Amino acid sequence: MKHLHTLGFLLFALGLLIVPLTASNEYELRIFMLFLIYGIIAVGLNVLIGLTGLVSLGQAGLFALGAYTGGITATRFGFDIVMASLAAALVSALFGAILAYPTVRVRGVYLAVITIAFGLIIENVAIEWQSLTGGTTGLSSIPSPNLLGVELSGYAFYAVLAIALFAATLLTHNLKASRYGRAMRASSQSEIAARALGINVTTLRTLAFVIASMSAGIAGAFYSFLNAYISPDIFTFSDSIRFLLMVILGGAGSTFGPVVGAYLLTYLPEYLQQLAAWQTFAYGALLLIVMFALPQGILGTLDSALKRWRPHPRRSEPVDARTVTDTLRPSAQDTSRAELVTRALTVKFGGLTALDEASIRVKPGEIHALIGPNGAGKSTFVNTISGFYRPTSGEFEIAGQQLSGKRSDEISRLGMARTFQNTELFGDMSVLENVIVGCQQHFGYGLAQALVRSPRMRREEREAQRIAIALLDFVGLATHADDEARFLPFGLQRRLEIARALATRPRILLLDEPAAGLTTQEIDELATMIRQIAALGITVLLIEHHVELIMAVADTVTVLDYGQVIASAPPSVVQRDPRVIEAYFGGQGDLQPTAKANP
Amino acid sequence: MSTIMQYILSGLAIGGIYALVALGFHIMWSSAKAVNFAHGDTLTIGALLTIMLLAAGLPLWLACLLAIAAGGVFGTLVERFAVRPFAAHSGSIGWMLATIAIGIMIESLATIETNGYSLPLPSPGVERAVRILGAGVYPQELLIPLVAVLATLGLKLIQRHTLVGRAMQAIAHDKQAASLMGINVNAVVALSFGLASLLGAAAGILIAPVVQASATMGVLLGLKGFAVAIIAGITSAPGVLVVGLLFGVIEKFVEGYISTAAREIVGFSLMILVLLIAPQGLFGKREVVKV
Repeated sequence: MKHLHTLGFLLFALGLLIVPLTASNEYELRIFMLFLIYGIIAVGLNVLIGLTGLVSLGQAGLFALGAYTGGITATRFGFDIVMASLAAALVSALFGAILAYPTVRVRGVYLAVITIAFGLIIENVAIEWQSLTGGTTGLSSIPSPNLLGVELSGYAFYAVLAIALFAATLLTHNLKASRYGRAMRASSQSEIAARALGINVTTLRTLAFVIASMSAGIAGAFYSFLNAYISPDIFTFSDSIRFLLMVILGGAGSTFGPVVGAYLLTYLPEYLQQLAAWQTFAYGALLLIVMFALPQGILGTLDSALKRWRPHPRRSEPVDARTVTDTLRPSAQDTSRAELVTRALTVKFGGLTALDEASIRVKPGEIHALIGPNGAGKSTFVNTISGFYRPTSGEFEIAGQQLSGKRSDEISRLGMARTFQNTELFGDMSVLENVIVGCQQHFGYGLAQALVRSPRMRREEREAQRIAIALLDFVGLATHADDEARFLPFGLQRRLEIARALATRPRILLLDEPAAGLTTQEIDELATMIRQIAALGITVLLIEHHVELIMAVADTVTVLDYGQVIASAPPSVVQRDPRVIEAYFGGQGDLQPTAKANP
Repeated sequence: MSTIMQYILSGLAIGGIYALVALGFHIMWSSAKAVNFAHGDTLTIGALLTIMLLAAGLPLWLACLLAIAAGGVFGTLVERFAVRPFAAHSGSIGWMLATIAIGIMIESLATIETNGYSLPLPSPGVERAVRILGAGVYPQELLIPLVAVLATLGLKLIQRHTLVGRAMQAIAHDKQAASLMGINVNAVVALSFGLASLLGAAAGILIAPVVQASATMGVLLGLKGFAVAIIAGITSAPGVLVVGLLFGVIEKFVEGYISTAAREIVGFSLMILVLLIAPQGLFGKREVVKV
């Protein structure tokens, strides 16, 4: 795959070099330059659609914003092409952030609506603010582009555009393979799991939209120079649809897909012109056809076909078992403080009290089991201390640090990791990538380093990969590293969740019913694994129904009933507690594990 | 005084349309956690179809009924063929793109059909204006907010007292559990899309005599309806009604005292502002993520 991308970039560069030489007239070159501009928009939009799975229907508005910024700064302040496009990038990025931040933290769907509205606002502002934009007559006499005062010839301008598109494609390709791109993809596949791994989904989505806005802005500035004239009616809603279609048709999420899509849709209107009034209809129909017949787009479909034809070879790298120990063992002073304490934690859903003043203390380094009949409040407890539910009252802390009121990603970064009752894997990502997403908080490299693949970025990525493979080996999944996560059998999916949670290097690990749906043998292996994890000094909170497992591994058992803690003691004591027996069987009896599980 | 009254009354009329459209979004979102992005086009369908049926010689009431019914069928079909195939994948944007595609196709078909002209829809409600406190309005305009209120009440009644209504609420709460209780989730979701589109088509027919019917009439109304749903909180039907009416009135005042362009700028900026301050909308409930 890696070589394929290198080859792709070489061919792409070659194509960009050859075209101006073969263009027979200026008009042909101009159309090709238009393609380059649309390509920049599509490549940026791909970050939003292909990686975060959000849709913008207002790229034409951002394109217009960039065009006006570029045009106005060039005419009024004599900005050269670089300065003008930087100004355009800045203004578009700013508006992108203002639009995206309030929107994406509520619902991703809203972004589509907000962006349509934004496109309309821009159009209306461009019409109204005549002194600046020239109103409906538009902005004419935009000077021809110059660089540092030297006027650019047609070919030099072409070179600027070609370099810009090539750079944009390369940078987004690098972004995709970095921690940012990985986290974006993860959050589009399971927002909940991403948050639980310490990823701030809102920030990431905003970042993706800002990137898409910036590239639309830069493209706009270029466009204003190419056209030398802009007016409000150049940037319409159907352009927004066209930009979206470029990404979808070419293949959302693929490196060259948007470029291919932009190429096709720049030249297609030349042919569609015969259709006259049916042209818009054709766009709609094309979008619909692509959605049903080619949902992965042209390059996405080719890519899948290639994978089926030549699957990944199985990995057989030697794994150093010490990696896991070295990575996971907390430093000495940490161990003493990895204690989880809840005080009078109460959660109410309307009239229902799911958790009633639950005070629990999970001692550092122990395996603490939380049990209780169905509806006792176990899941509510887990979801509350991992930050997904807001407690009605009460507080909780880890190692003396207040957690109440913190978001789930913040809590994760403070050392709490969890798995999910109904597994929440990133289904379309490989098993290995799933675990590397867990390493997210331990990367130190920033966005700029990700974009240029700095040595530090590569070193940290290699290190994360080494740790991830070791963790996969630890849970017995090393041979599955390159499989897609959704194809794993259920039992292995649970193990993958554990490996992924461990990759965050937690101080405390919450296992939410890890034995549900497992075979007896798998449960035995799970018990061994839990003991090994605890032996590394990680506190384990185990929420489980499976009595045998609990009796086999737990140091302390806390019993919840109707949201209240009714017992908290070593398993042998809890087993004989009459209140516990009452809660489970509704009468007298003895809660003895079956013969096999003897701790 | 009469100017203010004029703004309020015409604002309530257009606001009633926003409320009806937003109510449709509310109904669809509740049951499917997805909406029809071509919902605005159901207004166009309702209005243009009525005009065509009238031209074919049908009486007004029958033309209206048939057009509304056609709108309902359209909504159900959109759900079946453009939303459901993609809904299984959580986080899929397929339904969004598919419904947008349908919207584009309908709009361009309607443009071809009408040659891009606006067409009048005759209605007894716009024959003579009435004067209320110095403001002149058509009875039709007074009817619209009334219909919006009735539709909201009617929806509440359906939800409280009919089996289908309860099933809709159950699905809104937990699709899986509802399905385990023997509710045919697919059927109810399709039905709710149909119901939303009935309201949409009716809204189109109601507003067409006032603003004239055209291929593009639904786009902006649909968008503003969604804006209203966002501001109100898409989970609250009464909230949608109140905000819809209010949004219409505010728009009229901005339009009257500043300009038409300012109307759009202020309206949509308001939506973004509300999202910043009250992410769940003014009347919406915070949705608990089910983990």
